[in-house]
Amino acid sequence: MKRVLVVLTVLLFAGSLAFAAGGKKYRLFQDPKFTGLSYFELCAQGGEQAAKELGDDFVYTGSPEADVQKQVQSLQSVVAQKPDAIIVSAIDLNAVAPPLRKARSMGIKVVSYDADTAVDARDFFVNQMSYEGAARAMLDCALLDAPEGGEIAFIAASPTSPNHMAHIRIMTELTKTEAKYKVFKPVATQFAQDDEAKSIDVAINLMQAYPNLKVIISSSAVSAPAAARAIETIGKVGKVFATGVALPSSIKSYLKDGSEKAFFIWDPSKLGYLASYVAHYALDGSLKNQEGFKFTAGSLGEFTVGKDGEIVYGKPLFFTPDNIDQYNF
Amino acid sequence: MNGFARKFRWELFVAGMVILAGVWATFLSPYFLNAGQLLYASGNFIFTGILGFGLMAIIVTGEIDLSLPSTLAVCTVLLAKFSMFSLPLWLAVPFIFVVGAILGAINGFLVARIRLPALAVTLGTMGAYRGFAFIIGSEVGYTGFNDTYLWLGAGTIGKTQIPIQLAVFVLAAAVFVVLMHFSTFGRRCFAVGNNMRAVEYSGINVVRVKMAAYVIGGLTAALGAWIFIGQYGSARGDNANGVILGVITSVVLGGVDINGGSGTIVGVILSIIFLWTLRSGMGLANITGEVQELIIGVLLIASILISNLSRLRLAYGKRQKGKSKVVDLGRDV
Amino acid sequence: MIGTASGTRSIAQGLADRISRNSLRLRLVSVFISFLVLFVVFSFTSRNFFNFQNLKVIAFNASLLTIVACAEAIVVITRNLDVSVGSIIGLAGYFVAKYATAFPHSGVMIIVVGVALGAVLGILNGLSVAYGGIPSIVATLGTLAIFRGITIIIGRGIEVPSGNLPRWMIKGADLEILNVPFVIILAFVVVLILAFLLANMPIFRRAYAVGSNPGAAVFYGLRSNRVVLFAYTVCGALVGLAAFLYVSRVGTITVNLGRGWELTALAAVVIGGVSISGGSGNIVGVLLGALILSTIDNGLVLARAPEFWRMFIQGCAIVGAILLDATIERRIQTIFTRRRA
Repeated sequence: MKRVLVVLTVLLFAGSLAFAAGGKKYRLFQDPKFTGLSYFELCAQGGEQAAKELGDDFVYTGSPEADVQKQVQSLQSVVAQKPDAIIVSAIDLNAVAPPLRKARSMGIKVVSYDADTAVDARDFFVNQMSYEGAARAMLDCALLDAPEGGEIAFIAASPTSPNHMAHIRIMTELTKTEAKYKVFKPVATQFAQDDEAKSIDVAINLMQAYPNLKVIISSSAVSAPAAARAIETIGKVGKVFATGVALPSSIKSYLKDGSEKAFFIWDPSKLGYLASYVAHYALDGSLKNQEGFKFTAGSLGEFTVGKDGEIVYGKPLFFTPDNIDQYNF
Repeated sequence: MNGFARKFRWELFVAGMVILAGVWATFLSPYFLNAGQLLYASGNFIFTGILGFGLMAIIVTGEIDLSLPSTLAVCTVLLAKFSMFSLPLWLAVPFIFVVGAILGAINGFLVARIRLPALAVTLGTMGAYRGFAFIIGSEVGYTGFNDTYLWLGAGTIGKTQIPIQLAVFVLAAAVFVVLMHFSTFGRRCFAVGNNMRAVEYSGINVVRVKMAAYVIGGLTAALGAWIFIGQYGSARGDNANGVILGVITSVVLGGVDINGGSGTIVGVILSIIFLWTLRSGMGLANITGEVQELIIGVLLIASILISNLSRLRLAYGKRQKGKSKVVDLGRDV
Repeated sequence: MIGTASGTRSIAQGLADRISRNSLRLRLVSVFISFLVLFVVFSFTSRNFFNFQNLKVIAFNASLLTIVACAEAIVVITRNLDVSVGSIIGLAGYFVAKYATAFPHSGVMIIVVGVALGAVLGILNGLSVAYGGIPSIVATLGTLAIFRGITIIIGRGIEVPSGNLPRWMIKGADLEILNVPFVIILAFVVVLILAFLLANMPIFRRAYAVGSNPGAAVFYGLRSNRVVLFAYTVCGALVGLAAFLYVSRVGTITVNLGRGWELTALAAVVIGGVSISGGSGNIVGVLLGALILSTIDNGLVLARAPEFWRMFIQGCAIVGAILLDATIERRIQTIFTRRRA
């Protein structure tokens, strides 16, 4: 009986907290690297859903081009509208900092997601996977493709995408330090600006330059499926594998016909959902920027604040031919 | 229509569009008509505007230069190098102006002296200079500028909210108005654009005029670079990438004939303000980027169509009234 | 005396005629020589360069660009520009992808849809330039924005994954006949057909005339408006075909497809010796131009050169090609005028 009472009280308390949190209506603005990419559209959907649960207004805005200056202009425009919080995925972590710093000085909360900004330009960073977690995930996928190891190459968006470059750096390190990854030898890094045709050309040229290449790893959700396509085009299915970050819909056919074995990603809509919650809690003061601080984000569960305000979502989804049918995004 | 109105028909048209745009923008978003906001957002048009002045001079002589934004990028990464080695501003700035002039001169040499087609050549130098900027700057950007470098682009005049770059823009505009419309050089530019052969025969050194125009273009790119780093705080090889089409749009919308020989700086200024008003208003109303571009594309075509239609109607009108048959070769009758 | 003089003059005339007829071919030769030089250089910088497989790759990567560049060349010959080709690829390509997903069994219709939509967009360009009196660079700048905007609006951020496209499209793009990829053969066929048409079909000959001297063309009664409209339509249709091939090749389609292709196409056109002021140019040169660009790309990756050197070298290649072109042209001119006794 006592236990039931305790549970009831806790529930009531949590419920009232949620109610209090949802009391004030905030305006949340989400600005991705660029619009028009499924991945970011899904993040927006999640963000909007969270905002609805919290009773906030949600605006999705941004430029359709992957251009640094356009994102800065977009952010300046957002700041001028005096939102309560800005949720942003940065193309270039330092270039977007000035308008964000201005925003923070005006009392606007800044939450970065997917791709971080300069640390002093934002209050929190919702990282989909810790950089190390993502690096390990991609290498694990590569191991599924080619357990015997071999030469690997990386395709990233650009040298200034912080997450891609961090992944590559850590992956390179891991192949030197950890026993199970030592079978891999990184030979090259190329850039494809998140463009599909360029990714294919780059992948093909890579396979030409390194005839013993085994795996092409890409942190960019545009380049990973493109690399798979390139392998198919050039007729090296089964000799070279592609892996990395990709939306399930874009690599479903490759997993089904057996040309590829594993990819991974996190659920973008859940990432966006979490970002909205973080923004809201930052606004109403219930979220403190202290290492170790725990909070609950709606239906996603509990999260802990890490170093420098980084919150890791950390729930990777691995796609293999066996489970690909479960996912429809 | 009296003489003034007829001569500046296009400029008045654009001025009218500016007012319309302002009204529309205010209607679109309550945040627009706010002095602080307007001043803060003015940065978005200033460095492209300055590039527009330089490009206008080149276009008036009948040529074109696609490589101005790439020259700007070379200058920004050079400024980054200077800042990296903690060199003072008064060394850095003259240096980039010299570099800008040299890059402009290379274009001028190839186009005016060797007489290569401008569009093709500057297509090449656009890539070459951009690549050069990357080679100097490497792939990673530089953001650690010390404050003296950022002053021009980021600072405000005294205690007011007026950005220094706005003052620079006004100054540059004044200089260009005098240069293009009240100086011998300016007159020569228009003459060359109108009829190069005739100017040649009249003893004026056409090569020198075009060369000067290209050098001026390079100088505006250098100035733009200095403002750019203040505005964005970062320097990288891909700075101002893709800006050239927007600059051409603003110059053409300003009434400058793409084939050379006519146009006014005032027209360019007005069209820059018009485009910026539109973009700001739409941005504040969270109209997505592609819709903004679409609207501007439609406006670009529509405005020239309307102007052409009215000119055609004038020509046809005269013919119907029984006056002598006029073959409309595309000039004002 | 008189006999000898007129005799000399007629010999000079004959020589001059032959040189001017061959001048175009000479320019082609210069482009070809540049191509060979590149080959030699890259063969030394990487041992993986000069083998059948890699040459196949170079040709493959160049084939799409060739078709788009040929389309652009037709417009350039009339002394106009089309900077909206990237957006035409976008709109037509996205449409093809969506159509193929919705009606996977319509077979050839998918190709027809792409080409037809491309042609329609080309007509819009042509109308603005020829009949609207808008300078081509301005008109196509406008349509670049308009077409891209429409693409993004109807796309609403949704990708078309390659798995949704009918298998024959994907397989067709990879198809090889006698070890040569089908796409390369297709590009070759397009170039050959165009070369033939440009040399023989009246309306294409008129395109050269219009580009060479638009004022005179009007007075000559060449109906330059129709010729220009035709040029833009053909350009759009070819780009629509390229869009279909692009979709088949790339598979996963986003709304940003084709961005930036206009500048690369122009570069190929210019390197290929087609005069930007219109009136002259050989389609085979355009093919070589596309191959040169693709070779540079491939060679630099094989030589492990950093990414941004590519941009620098491509830019220098364009300037170099134009310089070479102009030098040869002037050489011919001086020989021509000196011989005239």
